[in-house]
Amino acid sequence: MTDITSTPVIKLQNLQKKFGIGDAEAYALNGVTLDINKGEFVSIMGPSGCGKTTLLNIIGLLDRSIDGEYELNGQPVATMSRRKQAKIRSQQIGFIFQNFNLIPRLNIIENVALPLIYKGITRTKRLIMASATLRNFHLNEREYYMPHQLSGGQAQRVAIARALVNEPTIILADEPTGNLDSRSSHIIMEELSDLHKRGNTIIMVTHNPRLTTYASRIITMLDGQIDTDTKNEVIHKLEEEIKPVLSIKKRKKTIRRPRKRKK
Amino acid sequence: MHFLLINHIQNARQSLHSSRVRSLLTMLGISIGVCSVTIILALSGGINKLIETQVESLGGNIVVIRPGVDNNITDLNNIQPQQKYTTSTLTENDIKYAQNTNHVQATAPIMILSGSIKADSTAPNNSLILATTPSLLEISNLKIKDGQFLSDNINKKTAVIGGQLSINIFGTESSIGKIITIRGQQFTVIGILKRTNNPVNYNSIDFDNAVIINFSDGKGLNSGVAQIQQINIKADNVSNLNDINDKLNKAISASHKGEKDFSVLIGDQILKPTSTLFRSITGVIVAVAAISLIVGGIGIMNIMLVTVAERTREIGIRKALGATNSDISWQFLIESLAISISGGIIGYISGYIIAFFISNFLIFNPVFNWQIAVIAFVISVITGTLFGIYPAIRAAHKDPIVSLHRYN
Repeated sequence: MTDITSTPVIKLQNLQKKFGIGDAEAYALNGVTLDINKGEFVSIMGPSGCGKTTLLNIIGLLDRSIDGEYELNGQPVATMSRRKQAKIRSQQIGFIFQNFNLIPRLNIIENVALPLIYKGITRTKRLIMASATLRNFHLNEREYYMPHQLSGGQAQRVAIARALVNEPTIILADEPTGNLDSRSSHIIMEELSDLHKRGNTIIMVTHNPRLTTYASRIITMLDGQIDTDTKNEVIHKLEEEIKPVLSIKKRKKTIRRPRKRKK
Repeated sequence: MHFLLINHIQNARQSLHSSRVRSLLTMLGISIGVCSVTIILALSGGINKLIETQVESLGGNIVVIRPGVDNNITDLNNIQPQQKYTTSTLTENDIKYAQNTNHVQATAPIMILSGSIKADSTAPNNSLILATTPSLLEISNLKIKDGQFLSDNINKKTAVIGGQLSINIFGTESSIGKIITIRGQQFTVIGILKRTNNPVNYNSIDFDNAVIINFSDGKGLNSGVAQIQQINIKADNVSNLNDINDKLNKAISASHKGEKDFSVLIGDQILKPTSTLFRSITGVIVAVAAISLIVGGIGIMNIMLVTVAERTREIGIRKALGATNSDISWQFLIESLAISISGGIIGYISGYIIAFFISNFLIFNPVFNWQIAVIAFVISVITGTLFGIYPAIRAAHKDPIVSLHRYN
């Protein structure tokens, strides 16, 4: 069973992200308030353009120009220098992308070792660590392949290995199975699920409703705002269970709004 | 930082290796620049060394009087290569003044005549007729291979010829006693000079290709007028050079009615006229080097901007994985330095290959010293940094989000 402790790793308060200026101003995020605790597997869903990826970029400290508050491990991000943010990305955050984003001119083991460079680890040690991580993904026979020689599923496993090599506490996955067939998708999701069981915090953005079965918490977004959040439902359910005991009759309601059709 | 530096170097090597043709073409500009600089420095070092050895071998006790004022200005519009075609301001009286000055051991006028030299065959154009006195042997350190040098005791029209000239006109180096026709007059060869292989000297005479006749015979060939290009004087001691210099200046000045139309040169000054032309050639090559370095640098900047554009996504990935802005800019700066330094090394090596090739046609060898290597290295580093810094900064300021989603 997942170990969800009560300390929020990520704490967002009325987060806003604007694009454009003047009349062309548009909100990619419009007042997102969200707490994510250590060890959660959060799946963020929603139609294209609802701000899922923007939210992920902000959580991953790639996007700095935001309004509202963001605290990572209790530290406000707004006051951090760029260098400090880069250090946090290097040590605490692992990224997994839809299109894998492996560097095409580096071989597999060098790609996996890439995050370790910025931690100041020597080359030999880097390669040993990368090799060990690849072994966990049963890719150690392909260490010296180039990225274009791998199948999509293998490339994504390499990308996950790269995200894990520096042992981050938070893993951010943006449509990790978006470019994969269902069989590869299943393997990748099993890997992520496995990581979750080992105590990592995972935040995954996806279009695919089937994948949400792996998650411990599902957030749906709409027009830059959080539409539904299963965490609240759990609380609500608990309330429902407690209420009859207290003999207070109330009409059953969920916080779920009528769902809009996806594009 | 130390680990990162090594990593950046490995990365640069890998990146250059993966686009070899492009990198080599980019290096070419820097190579040509550094190559020209190396050639100039190696050859000018060679000629300086040669002249230094000459001055040393003469013992440094030589004074030379030349017509005209010797100015050291390296004005390209005003080069006086050799005053062959002007009428000299030096007179026979000046020779006498020189001979009568204290501490002067020997005096020899140099009178260069133009005209044909004939024997079995006609001498080539670069051959030279030189009229002088027997003292030249002592002053200019000439060596006789066969026979004897000019002498005051022989009344007959005699000539001493250079080894190469002898071969050119007689087909042999043993031509003693043979008759040579200079401007229609016949001279008997009484001596052959030992080869010097040294056409660059303070007399500006290639003795290997010269025929030397008596001063009076020279005057005879020139309608009885002495046309003195130079008066060579040997002092008895180096310490008396300044004294001789002063006295000669005063005496000749007086006889030239106060006109300063001559110059007395001592020590290093003697060697200057030869290097004036050399300096102007050097100037031209330096300009070529500077232009090719600038063009090469622009080439580096251009290629680095292309590389940065190509690797936009890589920059995004690296930033997402924890690279700071300075990590990214160092990565690209070191890559441009790798191009310029490799180009510099290629240029340095090819510069020496070309310098040695050129020296086959010259009488001196290029010099090897650490200064040239350091200069070549510094030039490459400066060019690489100067033209690599803008692409590097541009790379560092790429927005990671835009970079990551660029090719999605």
